[in-house]
Amino acid sequence: MPARTARQRDAWAFMGPGVAVVLLALYIPVLYTVYLSFTEYDGLGDPTWIGVDNYVEMFHDPAILLSIVNTLAWVLGTLIVPVGLGLLVAYLAYGLRGAAWLRVPFLIPYALSGVAVGVIFSFVLQNGGALSQALAFLNLPGSELRWLQDAPLNTIVMILAASWQGVGVNALLFTVGLQSIPKEPLEAARVDGAGGFRLFASMVWPLLRPTTTIVVGLSIVNSLKTFDIVQSMTQGGPNRVSETLGVTMYRETFLNNEYGMGSAVAIFLTVITVAASLIYLRRQLSLGDAAPKTDAAPKGARRA
Amino acid sequence: MKLSRKAATGAAALIIVASVAGCSSPSASSNELTFVTDKSWDFEKFSAVSKDDMDVALDPAYYADVNAFQAFIKQSFRSNKAPGLFTWHTGSSLEDLVAEGLVAETTEIWDKAIADGNISESVKDLYTIDGAQYCTPISVDNWVMYYDKRTFADLGLEVPTTWDEMMTTADTLVDAGVAPFWNSGGNPWAFVWFQILTAGTDVDLYNALIAGEAKFTDPEIVEVMNIWLDMKENGYFTDPGSKTPAETQIKDQEVAMIPFGTWYSSTLDTVGLESGTDWGVFPIPNVNPEQETIPVAIETAPACVPEKSAQRDLGLEYSEWWMGTTAQTAWSEQQGNLPFNPNATAGTEEFQKIGQEYADPKYEFYLRYYEAAPAPILTASLDEFTGFMTNPGDPMPFLEGIQRVADEYWSEN
Repeated sequence: MPARTARQRDAWAFMGPGVAVVLLALYIPVLYTVYLSFTEYDGLGDPTWIGVDNYVEMFHDPAILLSIVNTLAWVLGTLIVPVGLGLLVAYLAYGLRGAAWLRVPFLIPYALSGVAVGVIFSFVLQNGGALSQALAFLNLPGSELRWLQDAPLNTIVMILAASWQGVGVNALLFTVGLQSIPKEPLEAARVDGAGGFRLFASMVWPLLRPTTTIVVGLSIVNSLKTFDIVQSMTQGGPNRVSETLGVTMYRETFLNNEYGMGSAVAIFLTVITVAASLIYLRRQLSLGDAAPKTDAAPKGARRA
Repeated sequence: MKLSRKAATGAAALIIVASVAGCSSPSASSNELTFVTDKSWDFEKFSAVSKDDMDVALDPAYYADVNAFQAFIKQSFRSNKAPGLFTWHTGSSLEDLVAEGLVAETTEIWDKAIADGNISESVKDLYTIDGAQYCTPISVDNWVMYYDKRTFADLGLEVPTTWDEMMTTADTLVDAGVAPFWNSGGNPWAFVWFQILTAGTDVDLYNALIAGEAKFTDPEIVEVMNIWLDMKENGYFTDPGSKTPAETQIKDQEVAMIPFGTWYSSTLDTVGLESGTDWGVFPIPNVNPEQETIPVAIETAPACVPEKSAQRDLGLEYSEWWMGTTAQTAWSEQQGNLPFNPNATAGTEEFQKIGQEYADPKYEFYLRYYEAAPAPILTASLDEFTGFMTNPGDPMPFLEGIQRVADEYWSEN
């Protein structure tokens, strides 16, 4: 026993710094933010406890409600465009000679930061910018559109700008997924006469489920916390019409010095992000389980 | 084995202690003043002047994002990392710090500077809270209208001296395909034309609005917004959503006039435009010619010393030096702006002339909207003014949006 105790003490000595860092950098800030969300605080002096007032006010503010709608539009948009296009690029390029080179142009934008993408697309999409000039030169309609000033057009074009950056990495993840699919079932399906869309829908898509789960899960989380591209392109404007919850959180905290309200938005955003991730992942994992679904069964038993 | 485990445990503990200790030791030496700023000005170059003159150098840390900077400063007050000197804003931002006792009082420095004739009483008012002074100015900038001398010469235009003349000039520019005035939506510049038009109509109304004694929905303010609307409908403004900087637009002769503080001259330098030949300045005339004084917006960049900074005394010593003639002459020469110290000399002829002009008592100085408006009202204003500029029309819904926030703010403060 004494030897075991000594070993445990040594183990804690090594684990201690890591545990301390996790507590200091993750748990305590989250708990402090939860506390702040129930206070009125301008970043100076001491916070004043006001109960749930920030949360009540948040759900009565039309601009924050619009921000929630915009955030959901980002979730939907980034599921349809970058995930869908990523899958398309990966599937079309899969098996082709030189496919890696075909994927490279899609992957390069991923190396850029969201702010850099935002700045570049701001110049492309501003009134009279590169896009409008190109459309006018080609006598195509749309050169008069105010891409970044009218809602919901500004949210849509920002989602497309983010997609430009995100397609490549999704394509890469799907390619890895495609490469991990065993060849035998696909060949068997081909022998049975399946091909084209039928082969994809009945064989490839179900076998890709583990990859799809990861890509969609990441996409949901990333889109819920969208901030950098919106902040650099429209600052959530004009007049808050393209704001997302990430921008609202920043605005309340650092522009209005209302740390309590900013914290309330942060906690709300965290709750819906964690909830969306848990609901989605649990659903996907249970669908992927071959055993019959019984809610009462312990997880370990299901996996076995 | 046991020994080595103990040694490893000890080493881990040592690393933690060393890292914590490393966090707490100040890095600047005794004659090096830690200085944190959100300005992009060249403080290293200026530091060479102070090193020569008073043997104290600045050790500047720059923040590109003003909001991140302000969050850092606020947090630094709670730790032992408070700098010896930092830049801030006057108005409600400074009042917040003073209310919590976070910045050192500078009344003695101000008394001496005024006695020496280094600064005017009117500037002191911007730094006075409850009868005492806090912080000292790095620079004090008056607002002027910058104009493109090349475009004015091409079209045979004279510098306007009244509002009507300025509108006639604007009509000529519109006919020539040049946008008369620069404007921009978003943070920070959406307030500019509201400020000019309100103060130019009635500066007392402007001050009452800032103090919460008038409402944004008052008929006088609606009238101001309608003047703005007329100007927009006449095509007087640049695209408020443009991402092209104002200095690039004036360089390319796409816009003829830009209202800004005298600090803007150094920005015009960066695009190769020269004072006196390419650009000049004139006082922005009153919208309402009946108004007795001509209001001029003023903004000032304060340097403040944290009350609990380890370098408090050195910070105050540097603050005092920065207000003096030697420092202000060097600073004005470096920045190309107007020195607030009457004993110092302006860097350019344009500013020497406008400095003399503004010495006339017919000019009245008021604090720029960005500093004067409390933070939540400012943020709401910038949003609503951007909305108004983007989709011009009935101003009332926009004004009601600001007033809602103002009502809430003034009910609590």
